[in-house]
Amino acid sequence: MPGRVFEEVVLPHIDAAFNYARWLTKSDADAEDVVQDATVRALRFFSSLRNEDARAWLLTIVRNTWYARFSKPSSADQHVLLEETDERPDERLDPEALAMQRQAIERVQRALGELPVDFREVIVLRELEGLSYKEIAAVIGIPIGTVMSRLARGRERLLAVLAPQATGGGRELF
Amino acid sequence: MNCSDVDGVLDAYGDHELGPEEAANVRAHLDECSACRDQVAARAALAHLIRRVPYYSAPDRLRVAVATARRPARVPPRVLALAAMVIVAVSLGGTTVIRTVRARQTASATTAAAREVVGDHVRALMGAHLFDVRSTDQHTVKPWFLGKLDFSPPVLDLAPLGFPLVGGRVDSIGGRAVAALVYQRRLHTINLFVWPASDSSEAPTDSRSVRGFQVRHWTRDGMAFWAVSDLNDLELEQFVAALNR
Repeated sequence: MPGRVFEEVVLPHIDAAFNYARWLTKSDADAEDVVQDATVRALRFFSSLRNEDARAWLLTIVRNTWYARFSKPSSADQHVLLEETDERPDERLDPEALAMQRQAIERVQRALGELPVDFREVIVLRELEGLSYKEIAAVIGIPIGTVMSRLARGRERLLAVLAPQATGGGRELF
Repeated sequence: MNCSDVDGVLDAYGDHELGPEEAANVRAHLDECSACRDQVAARAALAHLIRRVPYYSAPDRLRVAVATARRPARVPPRVLALAAMVIVAVSLGGTTVIRTVRARQTASATTAAAREVVGDHVRALMGAHLFDVRSTDQHTVKPWFLGKLDFSPPVLDLAPLGFPLVGGRVDSIGGRAVAALVYQRRLHTINLFVWPASDSSEAPTDSRSVRGFQVRHWTRDGMAFWAVSDLNDLELEQFVAALNR
């Protein structure tokens, strides 16, 4: 991207990079290390960034950095629940409904954290970053069909955890 | 399509990743099949919840690391700025030249100031010098500036509104001593720079993004205000609104 300055391209996506790293590592400190390393790599590869989407490009580097450092399974498989109170509850709901929604969000967060990372990351990239299947495939380096099947299986697991007594539906609990 | 066909593409359907024809086929099946409709609804409800789990924002340290990572730019920014000015000048008609020149001078002064306050924000976060006075009490911070500045900056604690004051310092912007008030929002730092405005007219809020940081500038009661943060747009707007209540 001739004429563009590194920080102007990367800074707008630094939250996305950190959020992804945080969901991959489940640790603030590890996520910060990964993103720190990733930005050093990104700077080195910056001249190779052409016209593709900078966010997907940065997320790919974050993913590769994480993979190189942390891919050994269960290095830090515990997590802290809702240590940041950043959830965005619906303002239209009454207090009781809000409390129920907050509980549901906490359950989803916990369940998502407990999913195997293969499922977890596709859901994070899809739902929190809004990436297309094609972009997710590029970030992770897997075929689009695999993105689709991981999303399907990940969501089924979440639904099963969240609505054990509901058969097939699941709306009752939300 | 039958239920098992639809079951295989439920996620792609909900994610709008199907082609128009296939999506229409799924819709046709859903019109007739309440079991599959429930599946779609369950996924939509799940997506709704997932999007509300905490979004982990990057700590300021990372932003600073990126903002200060350097490699030489191929074209010096000054040349780019000059080129932009030439383009602006060329693209404007002759009759408005004088007004444009003045507007451009104001605009370029504003741009220079924006760059300076962002540079100062970054340096302060790098640990060089964030606080001269560290206090959450506006009645401690305001008198602290007495005698250190030739004006008295308004100091408001916005803790009840979610933006606690954490301290202040004296800084130098464009060669003049200015007040820098430090506010916090979760892990994010907001630097609010205040100095006497060069002209007394009230200016509406100027919003811009410099090096990935959000910048808001306005003039009120003879004071120029600059708020700089890595907060998102919306929250910095809230901060500005809270200050101007």
